[in-house]
Amino acid sequence: MHFFLRLAREWDLRFERLVRLGAVSKWYSSVGNEGVTVAAATAIEAGDALISLHRDSGAILRHYLDAGRLFPDLFPAVSQRRASQVEPRGILYRLACQMLGKANGFSAGRERSYHYSHFDEGAGIIHVGMISHLGAMIPVAAGLALAFKQRGSDRVAVNFVGEGGTSTGDFHEGLNMAAVLRVPFILIIENNGYAFSTPAREQYASQTLAERGAAYGIPGVRVDGCDVVRVHEEVARAVSRARRGEGPTLIEAVVGRMRGHSEGDDSIQLLDAAERQRHERSDPLARFERSLLEVGAATQKYLDDIAKCCAELIVETVDSAMKAPDPVPETPLGGIYAE
Amino acid sequence: MPSETVVTKEISYLDAITRALRDELQDDPSVFVMGQDIAEYGGAFKATRGFLAEFGPHRMVNTPISESGTIGMAVGAAMLGRRPVVEMQFADFISCGFNQVVNVAAKMFWRTGRPVPMVIRCPTGGGAGAGAFHSQCVEAWFLHTPGLKVVAPAWPSDAYALLRAAIRDPNPVLFFEHKHLYRRVKQSAESFEAARREAVIGSARIVRSGEDVTVIAYGWMTHTSLEAAEVVSRDGISVEVVDLRSLAPMDEGLILESIRRTGRAVIVHEACFTGGFGGEIAARIGEKAFEFLDGPIRRIAYPDHPVPYHRGLEAASIPSVERIADVIRDLRRW
Repeated sequence: MHFFLRLAREWDLRFERLVRLGAVSKWYSSVGNEGVTVAAATAIEAGDALISLHRDSGAILRHYLDAGRLFPDLFPAVSQRRASQVEPRGILYRLACQMLGKANGFSAGRERSYHYSHFDEGAGIIHVGMISHLGAMIPVAAGLALAFKQRGSDRVAVNFVGEGGTSTGDFHEGLNMAAVLRVPFILIIENNGYAFSTPAREQYASQTLAERGAAYGIPGVRVDGCDVVRVHEEVARAVSRARRGEGPTLIEAVVGRMRGHSEGDDSIQLLDAAERQRHERSDPLARFERSLLEVGAATQKYLDDIAKCCAELIVETVDSAMKAPDPVPETPLGGIYAE
Repeated sequence: MPSETVVTKEISYLDAITRALRDELQDDPSVFVMGQDIAEYGGAFKATRGFLAEFGPHRMVNTPISESGTIGMAVGAAMLGRRPVVEMQFADFISCGFNQVVNVAAKMFWRTGRPVPMVIRCPTGGGAGAGAFHSQCVEAWFLHTPGLKVVAPAWPSDAYALLRAAIRDPNPVLFFEHKHLYRRVKQSAESFEAARREAVIGSARIVRSGEDVTVIAYGWMTHTSLEAAEVVSRDGISVEVVDLRSLAPMDEGLILESIRRTGRAVIVHEACFTGGFGGEIAARIGEKAFEFLDGPIRRIAYPDHPVPYHRGLEAASIPSVERIADVIRDLRRW
C-alpha cells in the first residue's frame, strides 16, 4: 500500500510541476486524497468496476499496476489477483499520454485527463471515468453493479464522489435506486471540506454525510480518510457485504484540503494559515510513513529508496509521454455511432 | 397505407410494441426492461402486461420515480453488455433524465469507444387532453445531440421492426411511440408480416406516391398527411407522402429524391414550430435541391406555446387535415 501512496504522490507532484512550468494547462491535484483512493482500490479485485473522479489517481494506479511487475527487486512476490496480464510500464505510459491529450492516451486526445474509460475485461480492468457534471456517474456506477448482479457475478462497483457532488439529484437517485435494487455498489465520498470555493457548511446542513446512509436504508460509515488502514478496513467490509448480496454501502472519508480546486486557481487562499497547517499535518502519506517507522515495519532508507524509484519512474514516463505524438484529426476512435 | 387502418384481424400499434419487446426478451437473455410501474402493473399503457410472470423480476426491473437514475443505470448496465429498454411513462418526463441522455449516453461511445446499447421508449404526443406535461413532442431536443438515434414510427409493422432494431443497435436509441396511435392504428396480420421485414433505422418510406407535392411527416402526422393527400386528390392534386420513421439518422436521400420529382415540399410535425425538425429538413432541401423547387418550402407545426388542457383548445393547435390540405393547395399554385 505504501508504494502506491508514494507513486500517486509523485504522479501529482510531477504534473503540478509541469503546470508551474507552463507545459500543462490545467491539473486537479490528488495530493491529500491518496489515503482514501489507494486504500479503497486495495480492497477491490480484478473484475471489479472502478468509477473515478479527478482526484482518484491513487485508485487508478493501484488498480492498474502490479508493484512486483514494476520493481521485481523491491517486491519479489507478484500479486496474482491484480491485472496480471497488463504490462505496467506500458499502461502507465498510456495513462500519462491520456493526461496530456496525446494520441496514445486512452481517448486518443478526444477527452481530457481523467474523463476517459478503460475496459480490459480479460485483465480484469473495468474502469469508467467521469464527465464534468458531478454526481452524474453515480447512477452509471450503480448500473454497472446492476449488470454484475444480473450476470450472477460477485463483482462489485466502487465509485468516488466529492462532498460537493452529494448535493446533486443524481446522488439521491443513484444511491436510492442502488439501495432499492440492492446492487453491489460502494459509494465513497472524499470529503475535503470544499467544493471549489464553497465550504461544506454551505453545501449541506447535516452533521455528517455518512448519516444519509440510514435514510436510504444502507450502512453509512464515516472514516478518517487520512488513515489508510481504517479506510481499507471499511471499504473491505463494504465490498464483502456487496459480494454477499447485501447491497450498497455509503462511506464518507474525511480528508484534508492540501491543494486548491485546480492548480493555478487561488481557491486554496480561502483557507487561513491555521487551517492550511492542519490540513498539511493530515497528509496520509507522511502519516503512514511515520507509523511504518514507529512499528519498525520500514526503515528510513527503505522509504527513501521507494520515493526515489517512484519519482524516477514517474518523471521518466511523463517526460516520455510529453514527447509522444499528438492526435491528428484523422486519428481513429470510431465515429459518432458504434457499428 | 391508409387501407391498412381498416381491416379485420388486426395488430395494433401497441400490440406491435408489446410483441417486439417479448420477442427480444425471448431471443436475447441480455435484454431487460426498466421503468416505473412496468412490472406487476404492466406499464402505464400496459405494453408489458404479463411480462413479470413470463420473464421474472431480473428482466422486468420496476424503478422508483427517478428518470435520471434509471437512464444512468441503464447506461452503466449497457456498458457491460446488457441491453436495457427503459420505459419513460411519458416522453415529457425524459427532461428529468436529460443530462444522462445528452451528456452521458450520447457521448459515451465517442469519448471512450465503449458502446452503449440501450433504448428509451418515449410515449409521445398529444390529442388526449392531457395537458402540458403529458402531451409534448420533445424529439427536437435530442436531434441536436450527436450520438443518439431517434426513431418515430407511424405503423404497427414499423413500430415492431424499429423497436427490435433499436434493441439490437449498439447505440442509445430514443423510440418515440405515439400514444394517439396505440389503439387507433392497426394492420392485418398479413400486411403486418409483410411490412415488418422492411423497416431499418435510418430509412424513410414513401407511403403514398404522387407527382405534384411531397409531404414529409412522421408519427401521427403521417396519418394526418395521408388524409390530407386524399382530400386534395379530389382537386386533382397528386401528393407524395414520405414517412420519415427515423429522424436520426435521417434518410436525406429519399427526401431529396422525392423533392426532385415533385418540386414542392411541405413538412408536417406535431412538435413546436421554432427549432423543430422541420427547420433542419427545410434547410437541407434548400441547400441540396433548391434548383428543383417550384415554390417555397412550407412547414406546418404546433404553434410555439405549451399544450393546453382543454380538448378543443388542443385540437385547434395540432396540425389538422384541413390545414395541411390548405397549404398543399396553396403551394400547388406556384
